[in-house]
Amino acid sequence: MKKVIIIGGGAAGMQTALRLAERGIEALILEKEAEAGGKLRGWHALFPTFTPAEEVLTELRRRIEEKKIEIRTRSEVRSLTPKSVTLADGQRLDCDAVVLASGFTLFDAAIKEEYGYGLYDNVFTSADIERMLNEGRVARADGSAPQRIALLHCVGSRDEKVCQQHCSRVCCITGVKQAMELKQRFPEADIFNFYMDIRMFGPGYEEMYREAQQKCNVHFVRGRISEAAPTLDGRIQIKAEDTLTGRPLRMSVDMLILLVGMRANDDSAALAESAGLQRSPSGFMAPRDHFLHNVESNVEGIFYAGTVTAPKNIGETLNEAIAAADAAADYLNE
Amino acid sequence: MKFYAPFCLPFIIGATAMFAIVLGKWLVWLLRLPRADKMLILRGLPSRATFGAVGEVFCESLLHRRIFRVNPVLGYMHMSLAFGWFLLISVGWIETVAHLGFRYVPLQGHVFFKYFATSLEHKPFFDFAMDLLLLFVLSGVALAWGKRLRSKALGMRRTTKHVLGDRIALSALWFIFPARLLAESATCALYGGGGFLTGSLGGWMHDRIGMLALMNLESAAWWFYSSCLGLFFVALPFSRYMHIFTEIPLIFLRRYRLRSGEKATSYDRFQLEACSRCGICIDPCQLQSVLGVDNVQSVYFLRDRRYKMLRPEIADNCLMCGRCATKCPVGIDLNTLRLNSRNRLRNLPDKRRYAYLKETDRSQGSGKVGYFAGCMTLLTPRILQAMEQVFTAAGEQVWWADRDGGVCCGRPLKLSGETDAARKMMRYNTELFRKHGITTLVTSCPICLKVFREDYALEGIEVLHHSEYILRLLRTGRLRLSHGDTRYTYHDPCELGRGSGIYDQPRAVIEAMGQLLEPAETRENALCCGSSVANTAISDGQQAAIARSVAAELEATGAETIVTACPLCKKAIARGATKEVHDLAEIVAAHIRR
Amino acid sequence: MASINFGYTISKPRAIDVDRNNLRRSDEILHEMPELQTCIGCGSCTAVCTAGNLTEFNFRRVHTLVRRGEYQGAYEEMNKCMLCGKCRLVCPRGINTRGVVMLIKHKLGDL
Repeated sequence: MKKVIIIGGGAAGMQTALRLAERGIEALILEKEAEAGGKLRGWHALFPTFTPAEEVLTELRRRIEEKKIEIRTRSEVRSLTPKSVTLADGQRLDCDAVVLASGFTLFDAAIKEEYGYGLYDNVFTSADIERMLNEGRVARADGSAPQRIALLHCVGSRDEKVCQQHCSRVCCITGVKQAMELKQRFPEADIFNFYMDIRMFGPGYEEMYREAQQKCNVHFVRGRISEAAPTLDGRIQIKAEDTLTGRPLRMSVDMLILLVGMRANDDSAALAESAGLQRSPSGFMAPRDHFLHNVESNVEGIFYAGTVTAPKNIGETLNEAIAAADAAADYLNE
Repeated sequence: MKFYAPFCLPFIIGATAMFAIVLGKWLVWLLRLPRADKMLILRGLPSRATFGAVGEVFCESLLHRRIFRVNPVLGYMHMSLAFGWFLLISVGWIETVAHLGFRYVPLQGHVFFKYFATSLEHKPFFDFAMDLLLLFVLSGVALAWGKRLRSKALGMRRTTKHVLGDRIALSALWFIFPARLLAESATCALYGGGGFLTGSLGGWMHDRIGMLALMNLESAAWWFYSSCLGLFFVALPFSRYMHIFTEIPLIFLRRYRLRSGEKATSYDRFQLEACSRCGICIDPCQLQSVLGVDNVQSVYFLRDRRYKMLRPEIADNCLMCGRCATKCPVGIDLNTLRLNSRNRLRNLPDKRRYAYLKETDRSQGSGKVGYFAGCMTLLTPRILQAMEQVFTAAGEQVWWADRDGGVCCGRPLKLSGETDAARKMMRYNTELFRKHGITTLVTSCPICLKVFREDYALEGIEVLHHSEYILRLLRTGRLRLSHGDTRYTYHDPCELGRGSGIYDQPRAVIEAMGQLLEPAETRENALCCGSSVANTAISDGQQAAIARSVAAELEATGAETIVTACPLCKKAIARGATKEVHDLAEIVAAHIRR
Repeated sequence: MASINFGYTISKPRAIDVDRNNLRRSDEILHEMPELQTCIGCGSCTAVCTAGNLTEFNFRRVHTLVRRGEYQGAYEEMNKCMLCGKCRLVCPRGINTRGVVMLIKHKLGDL
């Protein structure tokens, strides 16, 4: 029986393994964390339907168990070739093909020092908010309920100053989603989304945006927040230009939420080098082409699934995982 | 004895023209000096400064000591040409005196003495000495040829590109000494005599060349030698070789404390024309080494300005990091010259500008110590917060000048040439400081620090960079820090290190907290982060490329944390670094012992 | 405040008439500084602006108008800039904003 190693045990990795199992190919998932599930693990609900992330994850795990697919956790990959994967501890695992589904890394908001993340209380990232929603307790540092919340789009995306030129795509809709979730918890709160461009690229997204404006009274301000500073009463004062009126804008908020972008993993350069894989300027892996071979790498026998090649949403990732598994299966059956 | 032959004519004309033009230039530049500068000269002339200048002229103009320090081979090349030629002239003079006693001999008589002295008895000592000196100079010429062919062999990655006047003078100069060797050897071949060089070569020629041919060769060789000299002398005042005669007065004037300023003066001419275009400034320039920009370096800037073909894009494209100035063997004040060129190109003496500054005051708190964050520090709140922690720990009452937005210190405007407008900002801030009665002014920004110290009239207010202030707190026991085992490396900001001479204080503070590892190029030679406000020409990508190269050098030390003492350097280096980059104040705040 | 005073008026004619505006200087400016065309209008420059904190100066607005061929008053507006460089430090597109200020002053100084 042919064997495929899947690097990464997130949504992409699990879905790839399931599809390979359907096609009669043995799959081994290598996960560097203590538990499989990837970024979905920390997420609360998925746009645009507010489907709990846990629901998707539980179903994927159930199927994995049902198919008796092996997941090796705490297994960090150091290098790979189409026929083998070497772990950080030096162990070499042989296989017939590799699917790289190692995902992305969330941008570290502390790098944008001017927003005060990690410096002031009450500055959060979108990932913090998902975690707080999961914990069932969204609150300011002192435990009080926020009266006014600002969400800032494009933190660590479309920003040459942090060497992340690309658009992370999902932050816009995440900002809309979180604004609605927060509005639901704090109906009295005023919520402001600071955006550069609103990119509603998926089915149901534009409708969700409209609903946030119309039903939830979420304010959208076109301008990038430039600085945040703490006020004496523990709030955050933010500065931006309200570009649609052409005037500088200042406001104090109880919570500032930074919608952090998706960037390439730190080890992507080393992995790419070990296998001779090409990367795009953004640092993500570059598929062989964007149309007919978009789940294949430039190296025969190495395939891509999910956000290892570019920012994507969960639906796209799950679809791509099936495509990658099929491409790998076709390659092995040739 | 007659000291004239027709072949002397090119030399006589050339020498006369050269001396006339050089003296004329000196005179015009001196007369055009501002009155204050003239007074400095008058006061300096009868002082010890004059003796110092004489010594410096000997060490620099003849021996080229500073070039030796930067590059020994290059130093030898310049010394052999300058000092060797000087000795040829002076020993030749003595030789004439030894032969003829103290009697008047015209200039060409000394220069072409070998030609005229065929009837005199030989003095083997002088034959030997003069040949030795000629060999000394010829070795320099050979190196110069070599340098043109392969600059790397002389330890220079890049060598200067020349203008036409330079090419003429350079070609003539290259042939002067080989021509002299040929001419003197031909005379020796005909009349005997000469040392190990001219004598041997003469003997060799005597054996192989017929008498008539030899006589023609001798005549042609002396004509060629004289013409090379004449051509070189005529071209000299219009070429880079003008530095020979400009460096001498420059050394004197500098000793009399004349300086270039933000507005151009005639003193600048002495600096401009003292540049020998040796090209030593090219290699230290990061625009060259990292970005491959090869037409903006100081040597080209001075050349373009001297020949009145300076374009704004050349004047603007400089980080003003000062790395080249520390290496300049002539000690030219390159940054100030660049600054006053920009002033000439960009200054806008519009009286109505910045009227809006009037009566704005957003400062907070009160105290004898004022803290001026500076525009850049407002974008690095970690530094602000750290300084607040330091002040609190030291129990300092602080007046915050610009925490809620202030007025720029004026240096960026000054650096871009708008010096008059910058004065408005300086006046505004000075009045603000006075109004709040501070006696100490602390800033985290080296750019602000430099302008406060150099351009503000802040008598009674001590201006300190936060590194100096923190060190003082440590030394007086007002602040105590814990020592850990973290290894730090330190990046010298240009405006703090080369700009303000502050190298030791930040290092002392770091060593109070952990181990300090120095990068390959440090202190006076430290690299620039690339984001200097002095450069308005390079792109963001180019800034980032320089930052990456600097970060790589800092990370090569093996340190866990990169420390700097400038908000702009911090932001710039962080873009290219994989390790943490912090301002000194942040590290200090994290180590405060209560 | 009844109307926004930017030191010059755009009330006559109210519309930006690109057909009538002479875009030669605008083209020259963009030719020398093509990166200005990459502005996404996020307003970071204006939000951090030291001068804009003290007076009505809007860098983004002025250079946008200049790019549309609206030159009147642009020179005077740019003269309010202190060239402090904060905008360059925050521009997400990496535009050499200080260079833009100097270039616009250089190109439009004689209007």
